[in-house]
Amino acid sequence: MPIRVTSGMTNMQLLSNLNRNNNNMGKMENQISTGRKLNKPSDDPVGVTYALRYRAELASNEQYKTNSDAAISWLDFTDTTMQQASDVMKRLKELTVQASSETLPQSALDSIKLEVDQLKEQMMNIGNSQLRGKYVFNGQNYDQAPYQLSATVTSYDQINPDQGAVSYAIGDQDAFRVNTSGSDFFGKSTEADNVFKVIDSLSAALTNGNSTAISSQLSSIESRFTKMQTSLSEVGARTNRVELVQSRLDERNLNLTTLQAKTEDADVASLMIQATSAQTIYEAALKSSAKIMQPSLMDFMS
Amino acid sequence: MVSTFHGIETAKRSLNTQTAALNTTGHNISNANTAGYSRQVVSMKASESMEAYGLNRSVVRGQMGTGVEFTAIERVRQTFLDDQYRNESSSQGGWDIRYDTLNKLETIMNEPSDTGIRKVMDNFWDAWSDLSQDPQDVTNRKIVKETTLALTDAMNQASKQLDALSSDLTSNVTLKTTEMNSLLQSVADLNGNIYKLEQIGDNPNDLRDQRDYAIDQLSKLANVQVTQLDNGYQVTVAGQVAVAGTEVTAITAAGLEAAYQGGTLTGGEVYGMILSRDKYVADYKSQMDQLANTLANGNIEITLPAGTVLPEGTVLNSGVNNTAVTYSNANNNRTLTADLKVTVQGINGLHQLGYTLSGTTPEKGGAFFTSKDGAAITAGNITLNKDIQDDPNKIASSLRVDGTGTANEKVTIGNNALALTMASLKNVKFGFNTTQAQTTTVDDFFSSIVGQLGVQTKEAERQSQNAQLLTEQVDMNRQSVSGVSLDEEMSNMIKFQHAYSAASRFMTTFDQLLDKLINGTGRVGL
Repeated sequence: MPIRVTSGMTNMQLLSNLNRNNNNMGKMENQISTGRKLNKPSDDPVGVTYALRYRAELASNEQYKTNSDAAISWLDFTDTTMQQASDVMKRLKELTVQASSETLPQSALDSIKLEVDQLKEQMMNIGNSQLRGKYVFNGQNYDQAPYQLSATVTSYDQINPDQGAVSYAIGDQDAFRVNTSGSDFFGKSTEADNVFKVIDSLSAALTNGNSTAISSQLSSIESRFTKMQTSLSEVGARTNRVELVQSRLDERNLNLTTLQAKTEDADVASLMIQATSAQTIYEAALKSSAKIMQPSLMDFMS
Repeated sequence: MVSTFHGIETAKRSLNTQTAALNTTGHNISNANTAGYSRQVVSMKASESMEAYGLNRSVVRGQMGTGVEFTAIERVRQTFLDDQYRNESSSQGGWDIRYDTLNKLETIMNEPSDTGIRKVMDNFWDAWSDLSQDPQDVTNRKIVKETTLALTDAMNQASKQLDALSSDLTSNVTLKTTEMNSLLQSVADLNGNIYKLEQIGDNPNDLRDQRDYAIDQLSKLANVQVTQLDNGYQVTVAGQVAVAGTEVTAITAAGLEAAYQGGTLTGGEVYGMILSRDKYVADYKSQMDQLANTLANGNIEITLPAGTVLPEGTVLNSGVNNTAVTYSNANNNRTLTADLKVTVQGINGLHQLGYTLSGTTPEKGGAFFTSKDGAAITAGNITLNKDIQDDPNKIASSLRVDGTGTANEKVTIGNNALALTMASLKNVKFGFNTTQAQTTTVDDFFSSIVGQLGVQTKEAERQSQNAQLLTEQVDMNRQSVSGVSLDEEMSNMIKFQHAYSAASRFMTTFDQLLDKLINGTGRVGL
């Protein structure tokens, strides 16, 4: 059957072609102006599920970074206070060595005792160090000062600070412990080298001028000092670990951002080229439509 | 022997017929842009030759022609193409609405974006993580409260929008019913008029066009079937006879719903609406409900760290046999000596294992999420427990108490184990289905909803574009047969005009011939 072509058909065909061109251009313009090729799920259903996952992972990553920053600040603070405690220990050792010399008169021992008592106060203050309102050496009971005396607690060496872990989430699986308990650092009440017990014994020996008792504390001071150094290096090791995690988080952030950009972002350069060619096609269609629509037999009849 | 004036009669017939053809051409040209119009042609035929039976029948061979006459003015149309067009149009109507609804659903889901549900969910987990850094900090508690409210608001909002979409679709069905009934009434009226005109031997082309056009419009709304009966069209809409002759059986929304359920409503916009509502909107709503309810109550497996002190009387399922164990002072097992893997019921279940910072004696956490109306938790009614809204200290964050004996017990404020576990739920698989197996994380479940929506929308877009192409193609075929071609009409016009002129010339010739005979010959008696 020879097909009849009527003006209605030409019209319809032209209109639907123009619409399609226009629609294509609209889509590209939307991508260019938003800079994203994914604007709704149907733009790329699979891509969207990836995009959602990248976004969720980025959000977690950011949170882990915040948490690791807080962990670092806790660890740095602990490191500083531990250094101070080490300094106190060193001075204590010096004084003990000095006092253990049998030639010292009692008056000299008394003045050493005064300093030792001061050092005890300082050690107690270190034990009660606070970071943003938290007593860092009191485990999970960080809302209370660990080293304080009361009716039942008459000396610091009776105190066992809480050993609960304060953990921060710095990764999907890791709850990372940031705190060190005072029990581990200053010694438990049962331990012979509990720092307060040592100082108290030393102080008592100084009062009595008992040089044997004085020099016998040296070994306890030594062993506590070693334990403190171990804690200190552990804090250093933990700091290193968090720093490693941080750099890994940074790397992951970069990876995720790159992946997200690949999935979501529009390739503007190629889109611009496509859009220009689409526009050319559209204009050509418009121009030819205008030409095709016009003539009919009537134009050529006189 | 022919009559003297035979030629004049012949010329007159020709003039009449060519005028009729010219008029029809004019009618066609006028209606070139009328929707539903099909071109009309005048069928001409040589009129009966003049050789009547009679006693004095001529013996001359050959009959004398008497000119032309037109037997009918008919429209050019193919019923087959009409049927094809109506099928495609129904299919397009259905897919258009489905695509449209899915588009709206995409807007409601609003993903991927920085303001959608996924974002508030991230904020929710992050807030717990922040709280774990400083569980005693009231600012962090307020942030948990606000982000939770943002999450539940987003869910409420989405649910409300889904409800609105659903009821919009329902009311649109009713609206379309009115439109259909008015079209059906036109068909019935036209049936009556056409029948009357046919009875007196007329050929009511334009009325038939109008009737077909009405059916075309109906076909976009629902699947229609047309049977030509003696008294006009019998129209079947979605399997039900709606017009028979001049009788209309009004379509009702309820009837259409029943037809959808019964499987006889298979196309058109109304089909698209009911299907979109019952399949898409209802499905997404139920998935959102499932998401909300699972978040609050779905089974999850978590590990309680050693040192945890469970609230007195807690019953938990644990171990290989998943047996229920009661943790109490009497059983002397409240303090966990080792990590314990247990199954709890969602965020609510987990929250109730911990202690709040409210009050002087340890207070066990309450339900974290509650429903606004007391019914089971859905996306529409989920909200943060009113107690927590009033006092953020009622958020449980600690899993430990110090001291022994109920009176001496004191919450360990710095224990953040519960907050940490909450934040880690982002990566924990929840039990979504009825068998309560832990299948997928909340994030992934939501992603899968969005992914599914994307696939469905893309499919609907493709189908709707296809249907449009097909409809256009069939319409094109129809136009090819029935459409008015101005070029054709113009050439016809010239043809008929010339025929008219020639007939006039013939008339003049005959006039001159008779003039000669009457006035120029044998002027006897003058």
